[in-house]
Amino acid sequence: MAEVDTRDAILLAPIEQTGRGFYWALALLSLAILWGGIAYAVQLNEGLGVTGLHQPVSWGFYVTNFVFFIGISHAGTLISAILRLSRAEWRRPITRMAEVITVMVLFIGAGQILVDLGRPDRVMNVIRHGRYQSPLLWDATSISAYLTASLVYLYLPMIPDIALLRDRLGKRKLLYTVLALGWRGTKRQKKVLNRAISVMAILVIPIAVSVHTVVSFVFSMTLQPMWHSTIFGPYFVVGAIYSGIAALIVAMLIFRKAYGLQGYLKPIHFRYLGQLLLVMSLLWFYFTFTEYLTGYYGGEVEEMKVFWGKFTGPFWPFFWGMVLTNFLIPLLCLVRLHRHSIGKVLTASVSVLVGMWLERFTIVVPTLSYPRLPFPGGVYWPTWVELGETAASFALFALFYLLFTKLFPIISVWEIQEGREMGLKEVEERLLTYLPETAEGGAHGS
Amino acid sequence: MALWGMVIDLDRCTGCQACVMACKAENNVPAVGAKEANRGRTISWMQVLTEVDEHDPLGKVRFLPRPCLHCDDPPCTRVCPVYATYRNPEGIVAQIYARCIGCRFCMAACPYNAKYFNWRTYLTEGPGQNPDVSVRSKGVVEKCTFCHHRLQKARERALAEGREMEPGEYIPACAEACPTRAIVFGDLSDPDSEVAKLARSPRAFRLQEELGTRPKVIYLTEGEARG
Amino acid sequence: MVRPHLVVPDRTVKILQWAMAGGFILFVGAIVTWIIHLIRTAWQLRDVPSASIGISLVAIPVFLVLLGVVLYVVWGLLTDRSEA
Repeated sequence: MAEVDTRDAILLAPIEQTGRGFYWALALLSLAILWGGIAYAVQLNEGLGVTGLHQPVSWGFYVTNFVFFIGISHAGTLISAILRLSRAEWRRPITRMAEVITVMVLFIGAGQILVDLGRPDRVMNVIRHGRYQSPLLWDATSISAYLTASLVYLYLPMIPDIALLRDRLGKRKLLYTVLALGWRGTKRQKKVLNRAISVMAILVIPIAVSVHTVVSFVFSMTLQPMWHSTIFGPYFVVGAIYSGIAALIVAMLIFRKAYGLQGYLKPIHFRYLGQLLLVMSLLWFYFTFTEYLTGYYGGEVEEMKVFWGKFTGPFWPFFWGMVLTNFLIPLLCLVRLHRHSIGKVLTASVSVLVGMWLERFTIVVPTLSYPRLPFPGGVYWPTWVELGETAASFALFALFYLLFTKLFPIISVWEIQEGREMGLKEVEERLLTYLPETAEGGAHGS
Repeated sequence: MALWGMVIDLDRCTGCQACVMACKAENNVPAVGAKEANRGRTISWMQVLTEVDEHDPLGKVRFLPRPCLHCDDPPCTRVCPVYATYRNPEGIVAQIYARCIGCRFCMAACPYNAKYFNWRTYLTEGPGQNPDVSVRSKGVVEKCTFCHHRLQKARERALAEGREMEPGEYIPACAEACPTRAIVFGDLSDPDSEVAKLARSPRAFRLQEELGTRPKVIYLTEGEARG
Repeated sequence: MVRPHLVVPDRTVKILQWAMAGGFILFVGAIVTWIIHLIRTAWQLRDVPSASIGISLVAIPVFLVLLGVVLYVVWGLLTDRSEA
C-alpha cells in the first residue's frame, strides 16, 4: 500500500474534488468547441468553399494550424526526455505536464489535416492506397509512431501514481487497478520500470525530431519558391521546440494558479525554462535570418516576389508581427530574469505562441500567393469557419488536458517523493565524481 | 506506344478563348458563378493567361493558353498520397476523381497552377452535359486530361471497325476549336507527325524548363511581329 | 477518503491487463501489416517501391521496439511475486 506524504495531498486534490472553476472552464471551452463544431458541419455540408481558400492559395489556416499544433507536441516529450536523460533534478514537477501536452496536441494536430480534406469520407484511401513517395504518408507514419511512443512514454511513469490512486481513492477503482499493472513498488518492479522509461526517453527523441522534419518536407519537397529549401527540416524542428516550451510554460502557469501548485512550480523552474526559451529564440532567429539572407542574396526572381511580399507587400503585418512577437519581445523579457521572472516568462511565452503561429502562416500562404506563371492571384482572408475551427482546436486541446488532470495527478507524485528521498544523495554522489580526488579520498558524503 | 503532346503557336493565338469554351463544354467544367469567381474559384482546365508588359502597359498583351502540360516528370504525381493522379504509359497525366481525397497537395506542388479544386458542388448530373465525361463532386481536384475520353472513343471505334486508329482521329476539344489552328496535337513519339516536327522548330520552348518537369505542351515563341 | 465495499475482482483485472497487452500487439501488428501492404502496392504498380522500402526499414523497427518495451513492462510488473 503506497504511502502519500501529506505534504503532497494537494497534488491529488483535483482528482478528489471538483470546484466551480472547473465547470466555468468547461462551459467556456464548450462554447468554443460548439462554434467549431457548427463551422465544420457547415463545411461538410457545403464544401471547403465556406473557407477563404481559393486558387492559388489552396492551403491556409488549416495547414498552418496543423504545422503549429504538431510543433507544440515537441514540448512535451522532447523536454521531458532530455531533462530525464540529463538527470536534471528540477524536471520532476514538469515532466508529466509536458508529456500530456504532447499526447493531447498530437490528436488536435492530426485532426487539422482531416478538417482540411475535401473528401474526409475517403480518408481510408490513405490507409488502403497510400503512396510512400508522398510526404503526407511520411507524416502519417511518423505522427503515428510519435503518438504511440508519447502515449507509452506518458503512461509508464504514471504507473506508480496510478497505484497510489488505486489504493487511496474510492472511485474509479477498476480503471486504476487495471492501469496500475499490479504495481507494488517492489525492487524488481522498480528496476523494470526505470529501465523501460530510460529506453523510452532515448527512443522518443529521434522520433520527435523525425516528426517535424517530415512535416517540413511537405513544403520543402515541392519546387515552390521559398519552400524548396534544404534548411526546412532543422528550421521546423527548432521552431517546434521553441513553441513547445512556450506552450509548456503557459500550461504550467495556468494550472499552478488553478490548483495552487506554487509549492511545486517555483520561480526557479520558470527561470530555467525561460533560459531555455531564450536559447531557442536565438536559435530560431539564426535559422530565420539565414533563410532570408540566402534568398535575398541570391536574388532569384520567383523567390524575390515572395520575399518582398513578406517584407513590404500585403504580408508585411504578419511578417513583422512575427519578428516582434517571436524575437524582440521574448528577447527583451528573457535577458534578465532575476526580478519578476514569472511575469516576464509568461509574457514571453504568450508572445512566442502568437509569433510561432504567425511564422507558420508566413511560410504557408505567401508562397502560394505568388505563382510563377501570370496566374490571376488573390488575397487570402479566413472566414468565420476557419476562425471557429481554430478556436475549437485550442479549446478541444484545453479540454482534453483539463479532463486528464481530473483523472490523474498532473505532477508526478512518486517522482517528487523520489526527489526528496534520493535526489539529494544522488546529486552529491555525482558531484563528487566530477571533482578531483582529495587527500582524504572521498570522506564526504555517502 | 504513343506519347501524346501538344504544340501551341503563340504567334497564331489571338486570345479569343474559343479553346477555353470548347474545353468547358466538352468536359462538363462547371461555371462557378460570379460570386465564386470573384473569390478566385474559377475552374478553367484550359486557361488563357495574360501578361501585360510592365514597361508598356498600354501596349500589346501576351496570351498564353495553358492546359495541363502533362509533364513527363510531374511534380504533382509525386506528392499524391493515394494514387489519385498518375502518369499513364502514353504520357497523359490522369486524375481519378473517385480516389481523390481533396488534400490539394498536387495543387500546391504544380508549378503551372494547372490543377483546380471543387470548392463546392458546382454541378450535378443533368441533361445537356457530355455523357462521356463524369461530373465531379465537391472536394476533389480536376484538371485537363487531353480529352482522354475522346482517345478511348476513337480507339474503340477503330477496334469495332477492325482497323488501327488513324492519327488525327483523336484530337482534344481545344485543338479542334481553335480558329487559327494555333493548337496542334498529336503523337510526339512519331517523328513524322505534325506535332513532333513543330516541337523541333527553332522557335520551340518549354515553360519553366529549368524545373525539370519535361512538359509535353511545347510553345512556339512569337516571331518578328512581336519584336 | 476511501469508500469501502468497492471490491474489484482480481480475475477481471488480470484479464483486462493482459487484454491491454494483447491489444497493443494487435495494434503494432496492424501497423506493420499496413506498411508491408503499401510496399506491395507500390511494387505491383511499379511506382517507386524504394520509397516504401526505405521508410519501412526505419518505421517497422521503431514500432517493434515500442512493442518490446510495453510487453517487457507488462510482463515484468504483472509476473513479479516478490515482497514489496
